[in-house]
Amino acid sequence: MERVQCDILILGSGGAGLFAAHHAYDLNPKLKIIVAAKGLVGKSGCTRMVQGGYNVVLHPNDSVELHFKDTLKGGGMINNQELAWTLVSDAPKRILELETRMGCFFDRNPDGTVHQKAFAGQSFDRTVHRGDLTGIEIINRLRDQLYAKEGVIAWDEVRAVELLYNDDNQAIAGCLMLNLRTGQFIVVEALAVIVGTGGGASMYKIAAPSLEKAADGMAIAYRAGAEFVDMEMMQFHPTGLLAENSRMNGGVLEEGLRGAGGHLYNSLGERFMANYDPERMERSTRDRVARAAYMEIMAGRGTRLDGVLISVAHLGRKNVLRMFPGMVDRCKDVGKDLSVEPVEVSPTGHFHMGGVRINKDCFSGIPGLFVSGEDAGGIHGANRLGGNGVADSTVFGARAGDAAAEYVTQIKRQKVSESQVNRFVQEILQPFNNETGENPFDLRKELGKLMWEKVGLVRNGQDLKIAIDRLEEMAERVSHCKVSGGKAYNLAWHEVLNVKNMVEIGRMIALAAYTRNESRGSHYRSDYAITDNENWYKNIYMTQNGAKPAMKIEEVQFTHMLPEELLGQTARIKVEAS
Amino acid sequence: MEGEVKLHVLRYEPENDEKARYDTFVVDAKDNMTVLDALFIILSEQDPTVSFRCSCRVGMCGSCGMVMNDKEGLACRTKIEKLGREITVRPLRNLPIVKDLAVNMDPFFKQWEKIKPYFVPNAEASKDFAQIPQDPSRRGIIDQSLDCITCGCCYSACTLVSLDDNYIGPAALNRAYTLVADERDAATESRMEVAAGEDGALRCHTLFNCMEVCPKNLVPTWSIQKIKTKAVAGALKGGSK
Ligand SMILES: Cc1cc2nc3c(=O)[nH]c(=O)nc-3n(C[C@H](O)[C@H](O)[C@H](O)COP(=O)(O)OP(=O)(O)OC[C@H]3O[C@@H](n4cnc5c(N)ncnc54)[C@H](O)[C@@H]3O)c2cc1C
Ligand code: SF4
Ligand code: FES
Repeated sequence: MERVQCDILILGSGGAGLFAAHHAYDLNPKLKIIVAAKGLVGKSGCTRMVQGGYNVVLHPNDSVELHFKDTLKGGGMINNQELAWTLVSDAPKRILELETRMGCFFDRNPDGTVHQKAFAGQSFDRTVHRGDLTGIEIINRLRDQLYAKEGVIAWDEVRAVELLYNDDNQAIAGCLMLNLRTGQFIVVEALAVIVGTGGGASMYKIAAPSLEKAADGMAIAYRAGAEFVDMEMMQFHPTGLLAENSRMNGGVLEEGLRGAGGHLYNSLGERFMANYDPERMERSTRDRVARAAYMEIMAGRGTRLDGVLISVAHLGRKNVLRMFPGMVDRCKDVGKDLSVEPVEVSPTGHFHMGGVRINKDCFSGIPGLFVSGEDAGGIHGANRLGGNGVADSTVFGARAGDAAAEYVTQIKRQKVSESQVNRFVQEILQPFNNETGENPFDLRKELGKLMWEKVGLVRNGQDLKIAIDRLEEMAERVSHCKVSGGKAYNLAWHEVLNVKNMVEIGRMIALAAYTRNESRGSHYRSDYAITDNENWYKNIYMTQNGAKPAMKIEEVQFTHMLPEELLGQTARIKVEAS
Repeated sequence: MEGEVKLHVLRYEPENDEKARYDTFVVDAKDNMTVLDALFIILSEQDPTVSFRCSCRVGMCGSCGMVMNDKEGLACRTKIEKLGREITVRPLRNLPIVKDLAVNMDPFFKQWEKIKPYFVPNAEASKDFAQIPQDPSRRGIIDQSLDCITCGCCYSACTLVSLDDNYIGPAALNRAYTLVADERDAATESRMEVAAGEDGALRCHTLFNCMEVCPKNLVPTWSIQKIKTKAVAGALKGGSK
């Protein structure tokens, strides 16, 4: 088996992974750093798919306090305030770094200053962007800049499969990797591992993320004993493009469409947001708009494809073409002209607010293990604001890189546990030995449907209970999948590993959702349609404990701001779920 | 377009196969379906050993470039109905095959690396946001060429690349030009040396193959012409500027 030693191993090449690489290198160019991605480095993951943009305080009339307040308000006051504060106060540094060191160039105002646009749920127009496909610019430049840094080694299509402890189980000493192309395992011995694999919202039937994301990083961190926070908080983007018969289905139409004044209609032609949030209408927060659309569809007022309609035609054809060229192009793929006609959309699985519990230096609590980006939890509380996602991955990616570079100078190299390596390898090869067994692609379809129907936008105790049981069965069934053919570039084999990880994380989501007996942010329980500000300023924590996660519930620490300061009279009482 | 469609898919595993072959699959096509969708149907229902690459599935990552009915494009954005009832799918040209439709992009990125694709800020640019109005004359030039998703389609379609794989090729030269045109960048000289050098822009025969296949509607040929002009202007002034 191939063995490689390095100082820092970074898993994932999205905003989090690449920022971690740059920062670790800049802090100490002598370090040997490996960035390994399941896809091609810089060409995979969701940061690349960022459309709308990056929330950051730049304007003199805006303030970090305001951004912080918006973030907490969006998050239903259960955010980890230390992390949220770090997000908003570091973001200006990172956007400046993107422009002045990485060479990104964001859209400008006529006077040459950086343009900032309106995004939902924000008290100030603070979203920096490049057209309506901002992520391509950010990731391309982050990748290009790596070519100037020889100490950073990029591994394309090498997937992390399991974290490895040292012999006495005290610290992470490396990671078992699988080269997709050759099908060979690689044991990487690293002083520190940074996980930035970007979540797995793709476990939902309709979903936005890139296809390779399968909650891998979360699942391996979970199996390695990391603690998780608020896994029930799963975000659905309100406007996923409906593309019947195509994998394009669920691809996002950016939030800027609503920010710019787009309207949503049900099949009866009603602007239904009037019934859900008459004040803010379509500019309401994601959770509300997504749920409103879902309820319309469930009430039988959906379109043929079970969606609703978004229309921006009234903004004028010219304006739409100028502001949203990428979105116009995308809608063409389903035969629609966004600039003159309405387009069918549905809520779509999008982003994990929950994830590994970290401190503001991305430390997971397990020596040697740092987690950043979407795999980390707590920053966004119950609902992430559009535009806070790339801010998150760049801010915490940078911090993880800094912290890991610091950490590795203070420790000595550990040997990885060989017995662990052997056990994992046997487990992962098992599908080739199974004589008969299920097709992993079918299993994934089943998972998507189950998560969508029972652990989706509107939940209830009964359905969640069913989901918990069915997921338990599925966890068992994955281990009986059968795979044929060689090991090189075997997509079916990887699908088995994907489903295994998604089921593992799906179980946590279902269990946490069952536990939170209230509605808050993106978590809505039709059997508890209240936001319980009396009893539920709480976070749900989980760690692995045999077959089922162990759970603990703790009060939110209001280290910067009390609910009263944000919510006034309703701060401590039960209110109708919004 | 609905109904049965035949896909001839190139199969090749360099380690085990002496030569490549085409396997034929029949897929029940539906409206909206792309070549990527058809490949997924084959993978999940007919032959779990077929290999291809994709990530975003919406034309943003450039991972799914391949040659479909003899033309380069993104599988995720190429509609079946555009190709008809018989579709031949093969991997990008000018790049080694990893397996079946997935190629090794290293040669493409080796060229990319040659032109120093990274930004080197000048003294002013390294301090603060540049104050540059986004008017069509200045940023407009760059903005048009900036959207490259490094899919490699142009590299595959370029006749000059197939004749000589030392040629830097359209995408990398296009990248070089966006940096050269960027007033914030300080490495123009060394970059131009490569871009206008012996393996660079002067080799381009202006065949526009790259433009014809670019899924982002870029015109690398045009950037290459700019490099040529700039190189000539520099030479006239004396020196390599
Ligand atoms: C369509 C879409 C639009 C979005 N628009 C916006 C927006 O406008 N503004 C905003 O702020 N946020 C937006 N987001 C959210 C934002 O993209 C994410 O918050 C953020 O990019 C996550 O970054 P990350 O670095 O954690 O993960 P990603 O960027 O997703 O990167 C994950 C990386 O990990 C790799 N990987 C996965 N599994 C493994 C493994 N087992 N081993 C090794 N590598 C692995 C992947 O290949 C990839 O390279 C959007 C998301 C989507 C899906
Ligand atoms: S220039 Fe166009 S065809 Fe060439 S790599 Fe870039 S996006 Fe692809
Ligand atoms: S899968 Fe990303 S461009 Fe096709």
